[in-house]
Amino acid sequence: MTSIDLSIRAAAAEIQLIGVTKSYDARTTIIPPIDVSLRPGEFTVVLGPSGCGKSTLLQMIAGLERVSGGKIVIGGREVQDLEPKHRGCAMVFQNYALYPHMTVAENMAYSLKVAGVSKAERTERVATVAKMLGLADFLTRKPGQLSGGQRQRVAIGRAIIREPGVLLFDEPLSNLDAQLRHDMRVELAELHRRIGATSVFVTHDQVEAMTLADRILILNKGHIEQFDTPKAIYHNPASVFVAKFIGSPPMNILDVTGDGHVLRLADGQVVANYAGEGSFRLGIRPEDISVNAGGSIKTEIRYREDLGSHEILETKIAEQTLRIAMPFGVEIDTTQTLSLSFPQARLHLFDGENGRAIPGAFGDARSASASVKEYQ
Amino acid sequence: MSSESSLFGHRWLPLLLVAPLMLLIVLFFYVPVFQAFYWSFFLEQPFGGGSEFVGLQNFRRVLTDPEFWAATGRTVVFMLTASSLAVIVPLMLAIAADRKIGLSYAARNILVWPKGIAGASIGVVFAFIFNPFVGLMAPLNTLFPGLWNPGIDGTDAFVTLVAAHVWSGIPFNFVILLAGLRSIPPTMYQAAAMDGAGPWRRIFDVQLPLIMPQLFLTFVLEFTESITSVFALIDTITGGGPGGSTSLLVYKIYVDGFRGFDLSGASTQTAILMVFVLLLAACQFVFLGRRLNYER
Repeated sequence: MTSIDLSIRAAAAEIQLIGVTKSYDARTTIIPPIDVSLRPGEFTVVLGPSGCGKSTLLQMIAGLERVSGGKIVIGGREVQDLEPKHRGCAMVFQNYALYPHMTVAENMAYSLKVAGVSKAERTERVATVAKMLGLADFLTRKPGQLSGGQRQRVAIGRAIIREPGVLLFDEPLSNLDAQLRHDMRVELAELHRRIGATSVFVTHDQVEAMTLADRILILNKGHIEQFDTPKAIYHNPASVFVAKFIGSPPMNILDVTGDGHVLRLADGQVVANYAGEGSFRLGIRPEDISVNAGGSIKTEIRYREDLGSHEILETKIAEQTLRIAMPFGVEIDTTQTLSLSFPQARLHLFDGENGRAIPGAFGDARSASASVKEYQ
Repeated sequence: MSSESSLFGHRWLPLLLVAPLMLLIVLFFYVPVFQAFYWSFFLEQPFGGGSEFVGLQNFRRVLTDPEFWAATGRTVVFMLTASSLAVIVPLMLAIAADRKIGLSYAARNILVWPKGIAGASIGVVFAFIFNPFVGLMAPLNTLFPGLWNPGIDGTDAFVTLVAAHVWSGIPFNFVILLAGLRSIPPTMYQAAAMDGAGPWRRIFDVQLPLIMPQLFLTFVLEFTESITSVFALIDTITGGGPGGSTSLLVYKIYVDGFRGFDLSGASTQTAILMVFVLLLAACQFVFLGRRLNYER
């Protein structure tokens, strides 16, 4: 699988969504107007909980759903009113959607057949794609005789055989078991490098998003919460929603109140220095919390999960759950009250009302952690 | 014994439970069938009073009768035209109803209703609808006198029969075929659309191949049933006329047996018809049945 085969290489197309919106009637708006631009050859993962409109968005790009408004531009061409076949997209479906009455070869060649490609060329293209996907020995089988992973490969083969400029994936790995999902992820990443088509991959699995994406587009109720690289999304979440959605276990979000000098929990404990007043939401990742005897924040352990490589402590602080990830080998006395400190450089501050991140809130964080103690 | 014994601990209980049904089947199917086969080797007296074994003489008589072959020919023509149409028309309706075209939801309901109407009633209704003077075709007859008259023209009468049969076959076949179409996952159409296949192409490349099991079922049932169920229609619409042009085998058997009192001749024809139907069904299963199932 390592030799790079250039015989199937698409001219990647740019995808632009300009004010694209979808509503079924006056009251139910699935997707409010959205503006986004996907670069040619980029692998974009659309991530969101079920019902956030991510599949609808994909189907609108594919032409399987009509847009209620706005423009879709693929490779410089306005396509929102064109049929799927004229948009230059190919799609891989969650349930594979292979034609059960056709062989593997017929399944992959169907789009070419419809397009009127000669039989000789179809056979040749099928052979190339089958070799690339390790399906050469299965060409005469029917989908019913294949395993889940093989079916998924056929579905991918069917999509790439037309050398589309845009590849769309609708949760293609969610029907596979964990091991296979991992293997297919690796294969997909490799395939993308080789084919270079602009890819849009819809999923609710953050691991798939983090590992596959050049950029992740996080959708919440049709709104774009954040569109950025996996690194940026992990380290600088733009909102509470993103912060809670990415990371396992997810980021801790604590309700805090600012008095102009410090941020306090509901029980009065000071957790950070901040000059703002009012209610805020403070985020810290479980792995960023440091447990030490000198820590000023006190909490009770309620539950511990040993995951081998690390341990998750679930604690309660001011009636809110706080999860702490402990590296392997750190001994903790669970009977005692736990002393913690939150390194200010690792803290994230969000607006208490709309949940949007307040960037640079702890810009001067380095020196602050020491001064917290003075208020105790 | 495996799991069966835990379900039916009592040895005779299962037999006892199916006994009423078996009794009915034996009484109203196997006994008459056996009787027909038995009589086909005897010369029966029309009003009782003993019978005489004649060997194959009845078969010789029936098989050399040109009227028998004419009725058989008409039966085959009816079988091919009426049952094909009785599957194709509901198929078109089902494909339309499966799409989200206007009123398809209401149509799905309404199209099932004829199922509740007895064959004889359908016959009476169609005799009226196709009446050359007051029916649907009456206006055409005033424009082109003599164009349509099933009472005189054998072909017109035959067409009336076929139309009535097709209409009565719509509900059942429609329901079966629509269920088949509904079971095709929508992503299959989406995949075909992405592959560039338009709606018509999708019908032939995706829908029809995937409802082959349902199509096969309806064809087998139609082919075997059209031969016998047409009796009620003939009896009420044409009475076998005009000039015997709509006297199909099943109607001829009735006329020979119960009007002509040729019990042996009618029994012989019944036996032949039965063997024909059995062979037909067997052939369909052997040649078509096996290739039609896919693992979804």
